[in-house]
Amino acid sequence: MPRILGVDIPANKKIPFSLRYIYGIGPTVSDKLVRMAGIDPDRRAHTLTEEELNKISELVVAEGHLVEGDLRREIAGNLKRLQAIQCYRGIRHRRGLPVRGQRTKCNARTRKGKRKTVGVQKKS
Amino acid sequence: MARSLKKGFFVDPGLWKRVDKAQATDDRKPIKTWSRRSQITPEFVGLNFEVHNGKGFMPVHVTENMVGHRLGEFAPTRQFKGHQPHTKR
Repeated sequence: MPRILGVDIPANKKIPFSLRYIYGIGPTVSDKLVRMAGIDPDRRAHTLTEEELNKISELVVAEGHLVEGDLRREIAGNLKRLQAIQCYRGIRHRRGLPVRGQRTKCNARTRKGKRKTVGVQKKS
Repeated sequence: MARSLKKGFFVDPGLWKRVDKAQATDDRKPIKTWSRRSQITPEFVGLNFEVHNGKGFMPVHVTENMVGHRLGEFAPTRQFKGHQPHTKR
């Protein structure tokens, strides 16, 4: 399995697809990188030479794409900033509720997680 | 959708005057305002505000990384007191 950008080990899929296993690289960036590196997009990842792998990682840096740890750190930093200044978005993040004004009466399960029952049990 | 950059910051004109004056005289008395829609510009940094939340005024001290947010973001308009506790019958 080829290694690229430190930890990542894409499989024996075609290169544009295996690159997407890197955190921070999606279809658009992946296609662009392959094109810029001048690699045939139909080749499988394991057929890449050391040189071509290096070329791709250089391109990622040169194009200014944040990837893996750096990207995660940036995102965490953004959240931290919002929470530190006590703004509305920060508060919503802290409480694990939707941030962009969605309704929470029902749905919002992605943010709220698994349903937990709250409420009063009526006395009989 | 973000605001077009060419328009620049939006600050209520009246509030802008008061901020200007406060900065000029180095006055740190809180500025009471209803203008939750005003964006925080670098000139606001270090000043104290009291932002209306529909009911009362919330104290807000503006720091550097609040720039670009709006005053209203720091004065929540809703207060969640929690659900009634689950009582055993």
